[in-house]
Amino acid sequence: MARQHSADGTLVRMVGIEKSYGRVRALDGVDFTVREREIVGLLGDNGAGKSTLIKVLSGAVPATGGAIYVRGEKASIRSTTDAIGYGIETIYQDSALVTQLSIARNLFLGREPIKGPRLLNRLDHERMNRVAGELLRRVGISKNIPPTTPIGSLSGGERQAVAIARAMYFDSDLIILDEPTNNLGVAETQGVLSFVRNARDSGHSCIFIAHNIHHVFQVVDRIVVMRRGRVVADDIDPKTSSVEAVERVITGMTEAGVHA
Amino acid sequence: MENRSLIARLTARPELGPFVLLLAELVVFWSINPEFLSPLNISNTLSFTVELGLIALAMTLLMTSGEFDLSVGSVFGFAPVLMWTLFNAGVTSLGLAFVVALVVAALIGFANGWFVTRVRISSFLVTLGMLLVVRGTALFITDGFPQRTWSAGGHWLAEVLVGDFYVGPFRLYMSLFWFILFALLLGYVLTGTKAGNWIQAAGGNANAARARGVKVDRVKVALFMLSATLAGFAGIISSIRTSAANPNSGQGYELEVIAMVVIGGTALTGGRGTIIGTVLGVLILRVMRNGIVLIGVPGLAYNIFIGAIILGMMTLHSFLDRRHQGAN
Ligand SMILES: Nc1ncnc2c1ncn2[C@@H]1O[C@H](COP(=O)(O)OP(=O)(O)O)[C@@H](O)[C@H]1O
Ligand SMILES: [Mg+2]
Repeated sequence: MARQHSADGTLVRMVGIEKSYGRVRALDGVDFTVREREIVGLLGDNGAGKSTLIKVLSGAVPATGGAIYVRGEKASIRSTTDAIGYGIETIYQDSALVTQLSIARNLFLGREPIKGPRLLNRLDHERMNRVAGELLRRVGISKNIPPTTPIGSLSGGERQAVAIARAMYFDSDLIILDEPTNNLGVAETQGVLSFVRNARDSGHSCIFIAHNIHHVFQVVDRIVVMRRGRVVADDIDPKTSSVEAVERVITGMTEAGVHA
Repeated sequence: MENRSLIARLTARPELGPFVLLLAELVVFWSINPEFLSPLNISNTLSFTVELGLIALAMTLLMTSGEFDLSVGSVFGFAPVLMWTLFNAGVTSLGLAFVVALVVAALIGFANGWFVTRVRISSFLVTLGMLLVVRGTALFITDGFPQRTWSAGGHWLAEVLVGDFYVGPFRLYMSLFWFILFALLLGYVLTGTKAGNWIQAAGGNANAARARGVKVDRVKVALFMLSATLAGFAGIISSIRTSAANPNSGQGYELEVIAMVVIGGTALTGGRGTIIGTVLGVLILRVMRNGIVLIGVPGLAYNIFIGAIILGMMTLHSFLDRRHQGAN
């Protein structure tokens, strides 16, 4: 399912990324990589530049310097649509879905299957609903939610599951989640964490940003820490590090970083 | 069990409220004056209904995409004036004048769409400006006088647009056929096609739609063109039916049409629209206009009822919306 592999298994490499908002240097020469089939946890205090970094990667804001390589080739990402074209999809808590439309209609938005003569432009409802149903099961939505349900009547976690399902179905290689567990209850949070694991298990990479370090520890393969627009640690293994040690890196009490 | 889920599904539909209201109107008017349901009155009511109705159908799609069009009343007056001016001046045949009038109407719609999507001015301001420009143009080229229209029927265009025929005791007009055709066509477009999915997404969350590659601006421009073209078409039908092309005709239609659409359950803010609801909304207002005259209420009181219906229906829709959200 994955497209052509790069030699060293690197999916996305960001080099020397800079971004200034007026006089604020939100990103100050950031190097950041994501490998294939890897969940990277991106941590850092408020204002560290995490959201700005992934916005640059997803085409939402233009960088003022640096380069992005996708599967070893230089990529030019100027819009969300460009990013999706490179297989990079960002899941926002609600802004990326149309609440009035059904789950199935959202899943296929912009890539609707047509049935019969092209002139009639007829939606293949049957196929849309069937695929949507299968996908909902695959990301692990436990409740039996019909694919014709409007997004507006789903919970926050379920909405993100739909967005993740959509990214998986359309072969996004990299799925980015910026604070997906904010405002979610305990069960919902566990749901989102398991959607992320399922996505990795079926061959996708993820960038996972969360305030709650414990959530990050539960799901990621590698932790990257940012502080004041710079990466201060980029190879922390959650299996061999402690939450406390990582917290010290985030707040700047340990400059050297934590080694596996 | 089967039954209950059917009822539950019916009550969840936004068209239920308007449907009940229409039934209530019919029963009340009929019980006060049985003439109300006479074939003659039904035929008459239907013939007037379709002209505003055609505009309302296009407006439903436009509003679902998150925009609306205040210039439809002006285009309704302008298109027939242009057609008859061209014909009377001997510039073109009637058939060609008809085509030219529709093309010009479509261009007016294109201009609306261009200002809204490219210059990023709200559709309220753009179409308010266009309302004045188009009405002013109609008054200017006619010096404010109605255009002479020929009265002899029999021209193929008159037959196709407003020719009449009997079905049993009911005298029906071709215009009704056009209304039904467009209702079926646009209903299919909105719910059954990829284009319909784009229309709803454009009005529901334009940024999310754009991110998925939906051509939001193109959808909106096309719908502005549809709205203006159908308004011109309806104006031409009206001018042939009444044998008059008055540069003042269609004034205030924009608000009545928008009222019809929202009463039917289409959201003014976009994202949700229903052609069935609009057909019901059209009938509700037309039956009300006809019915209150027939039971002896002065026609001048019409707006009181329309206003009350709008407020009542909006309250109902908002209540049902909240209950629906609250259930989950
Ligand atoms: N749109 C913006 N305009 C001006 N400054 C911004 C904007 N977005 C972010 N910033 C600034 O950039 C820095 C990094 O912000 P952000 O990337 O949102 O951090 P994080 O997601 O790690 O909390 C902060 O100082 C923030 O105030
Ligand atoms: Mg942030």
